[in-house]
Amino acid sequence: MRRRLGPGFWLATAWIGLIVAAAALADLLPIAGYDDTLVGPPRSAPSAEHPFGTDGLGRDVFSRVVHGARVSLGVGIGAVVLGLGLGAPLGILAGYRKGLADSVIMAANDIALAFPSLVFALAVVAFAGASLRNVLIVLGVLGIPAWVRLIRGTTLAFAEREFVLAARVLGVRDRRILWREIMPNVAVPAASYAFIGMAVVIVAEGSLAFLGLSVQAPTPTWGGLINEGRTLMEDAPHVVLAPSIVMFLTVLAFNLVGDRLRALTDVRQSGLEPARQAAPLPAGPAPRPVTGALLQVEDLRTHIHTPRGTVKAVDGVSFTLERGRTLAIVGESGSGKSMLIRTILGLLPATEVSRGGHVHLEGDDLTAFTPEEMRQVLGRRLGTVFQDPMTALNPVRTIGTQVTEPLRVHLGMNRRQARQEAERLLASVGIPDPARMLRRYPHQLSGGMRQRVTIAMALSCGPDVLFADEPTTALDVTIQDQVLRLIHRLREERDMAVVLVSHDLSVVRQWADEVIVMYAGKVVERGPAEQVFTRPRMPYTEALLQAAPRLTDPSHHRLRVIPGRPPDLSDVPPGCPFRPRCAYAQDRCAEEAPPLLAEAGDHHYACWHPTGTAVSDTPEGAETHGR
Amino acid sequence: MAGSGTAHLRPRDEVLLQVENLYVEFPAGRGRTVRAVSGVSFDLARGETLGIVGESGCGKSSTAKALVQLPRPRAGAVRLDGLDLTTLRGEALRRVRRRLQMIFQDPISSLNPRRRVREIVEEGPLVWGSGTGKVDEVLEAVGLDPATAAVRRPHEFSGGQCQRVSIARALVLEPEVVICDEPVSALDVSVQAQILALLEDLKERYRLTLVFIAHDLAVVKNISDRIMVMYLGKTCELAPSEELIARPAHPYTKALLAAIPGSGLDLPPADRLISGEPPSPVDPPSGCRFRTRCPRAAERCAREEPEIRPVNGGDHYVACHFPDI
Repeated sequence: MRRRLGPGFWLATAWIGLIVAAAALADLLPIAGYDDTLVGPPRSAPSAEHPFGTDGLGRDVFSRVVHGARVSLGVGIGAVVLGLGLGAPLGILAGYRKGLADSVIMAANDIALAFPSLVFALAVVAFAGASLRNVLIVLGVLGIPAWVRLIRGTTLAFAEREFVLAARVLGVRDRRILWREIMPNVAVPAASYAFIGMAVVIVAEGSLAFLGLSVQAPTPTWGGLINEGRTLMEDAPHVVLAPSIVMFLTVLAFNLVGDRLRALTDVRQSGLEPARQAAPLPAGPAPRPVTGALLQVEDLRTHIHTPRGTVKAVDGVSFTLERGRTLAIVGESGSGKSMLIRTILGLLPATEVSRGGHVHLEGDDLTAFTPEEMRQVLGRRLGTVFQDPMTALNPVRTIGTQVTEPLRVHLGMNRRQARQEAERLLASVGIPDPARMLRRYPHQLSGGMRQRVTIAMALSCGPDVLFADEPTTALDVTIQDQVLRLIHRLREERDMAVVLVSHDLSVVRQWADEVIVMYAGKVVERGPAEQVFTRPRMPYTEALLQAAPRLTDPSHHRLRVIPGRPPDLSDVPPGCPFRPRCAYAQDRCAEEAPPLLAEAGDHHYACWHPTGTAVSDTPEGAETHGR
Repeated sequence: MAGSGTAHLRPRDEVLLQVENLYVEFPAGRGRTVRAVSGVSFDLARGETLGIVGESGCGKSSTAKALVQLPRPRAGAVRLDGLDLTTLRGEALRRVRRRLQMIFQDPISSLNPRRRVREIVEEGPLVWGSGTGKVDEVLEAVGLDPATAAVRRPHEFSGGQCQRVSIARALVLEPEVVICDEPVSALDVSVQAQILALLEDLKERYRLTLVFIAHDLAVVKNISDRIMVMYLGKTCELAPSEELIARPAHPYTKALLAAIPGSGLDLPPADRLISGEPPSPVDPPSGCRFRTRCPRAAERCAREEPEIRPVNGGDHYVACHFPDI
């Protein structure tokens, strides 16, 4: 998808194009010569004949500004080309070779950066003489260290990527790797910096010219023009203002183009444009009466507005959950399982998103709560544990300050009480020597220990429901076992409910009481875990179970392959979302989306032609649906 | 388990790839060294798939990279058809590279975002001057449309499709050995099944020998003929897949199996088979490196490193003083 650059970028580009054209064609333009005196009355204000007026000697200021652009742009472009030409090879060498070459180049670079650059430029120009060539060389050379830094950093980042390793495994020579793999990736940030660099050089040249240390009269330069006009500020301010404004706009334009190009290099940056304000979705069917359940979710919908259309990330999800139970939400990437959790917790951005439906926690409608009320609920009544414990913890604060904070904020404990409670909490999640652990920083802990800390924090205020979003996906299998056991034990001890989000069917099978299977933002199957896993009714659930390898299957056992891919959530076809990939699909599936149908034992499925075959648990009985 | 030794290696003339006493080390700053791989040996017969399994930090990925000499291992031999790659330099090493290709874990990071998919797959043949005639065939073999691939860039493809591109890039050079470093770990279950099936098909079609590295034992068992279990840079156990899962002899293998939820195997809970967390590879324990987490560890385990030895008859090898046999 093409990212929009915005009108500012195009205006800036047009301005740069205009200035460059004017400078290049200055001699051909039907304007007075820059040094022709008395082409009009001296110090006359801007008029049709002299758009920028005339200066003290009656010279046409417009002509002088246009000719001055030659020096400014010439120095700007020349110095950048010089800096890039010398800095880029050094930067690439340092970044790609690393080791000794890197140490030497970067040491020299750091020393060069320590020079006060403008003072150095003044000294050199004053000594070697003020000419276009000298100014260009001095400003170009002064730019080298910054170029080396930039190019080295970018090269280093890409040289570590696996595609460079892959090229070396293919037997590609270093020179070709640099040209074909690294250079194209370095080029865009370099181009972006080139524009910003030109702006810097134009300002620097202007400053030198203002001090009379750039190209000498009679050749006009923008800085020189401003300097000349200084004395006329009282009665002919346009002589100063015209070159100032042109220079200001030019520098602004270069910076803007550079900034926009830099934004382009973030390939991962999402294409979301700031957009329409959030609007509540129209109410769905009349809500069912609020039962006495601990957590009741009714027809929850989250629609995200993107330039490509409305993404129905969560589309009509309902469930109830009681104390002492674990509900698992399973699905593949993009099924909406994490978005469902975020919607329940109210952790969605206020703009670009519409939500509908209700979330009741012990009878309180959380969807009607203000952000301030919701903050009281989060942490105190709803605890959360996310996939990556490193991002959930602040890297520059100790474990102690982070674990005690909710205790002091929500429960009003004093420092000593909070400290004691934190030690007790850490001990309860199986952390050895909790007093010492409180003084440590997150990076000093292993992944498993960090996840234990986030669990301790989630439990600190005694929540009713613990939401665990892929809590063990980043952990090794032996550590995963420890953490899941811990969550289960804590659920029993504290009589909480647990909502476990996972892509791993075997984790869900072992630890959940109830399961929700999601596909394309919808619940496609829901029921007691044992029943869903042994007697899936929805063909997607069945296919997913047969696609996962099992230890009890023989080696080289052919796994079930689900053809195709999940639908684009901004353009879900009518009917059943799984139809294009379903082996049992018939005409009705394309026309009418199946509702959640119920059968005995609180087992629900969204399918017109449910499978009836039991999936056996034993290798002997396992049916293999090869391609 | 910190096992060393070469009792499990087959005669050199029977195998295509033989790795002997491989050591990989990295500087860890302040004069310390990460001992990523310490004396690992294994071999592969032509057409065989060897699975290497273990948790993070066990050295499985370092082993994979050492096989292709990127970076070169600190010590040990990597023999391809009797030719020791660790003794080769410059052009001679480059020439061997095309026989040994690699597939990586991250399907996004392993493709250059600025090049079109077709250019990525063509790179190998172009570098080797072997003509790009095979590119279309390989793209089709991995399930990609050559016409689309010609114009699209990697970010326009899903993770599973990017992994197919990586596989095509490796296969177009007609390598003998393909090293797959966690090729399905970043993929969804249904996509993982697609890629595993594809690898099995391609293995038949192109007569490949595979090294398949993963942390998921169920995935490894599905694709491998033999499995090697690693822990903290050492070999624990090596056996035919069925045998290893049915009769794990090493305490760590048992713990790894028991920790898999819903494995369907008759094993005690994992928390009785393993405790704590892995020690740092900068300062590994003396003797058997698994002893700090092993319920069976005795005084001998701290003193003496176990050697790899055959157990249960046949093709089953274990490095443990007190194996389950």
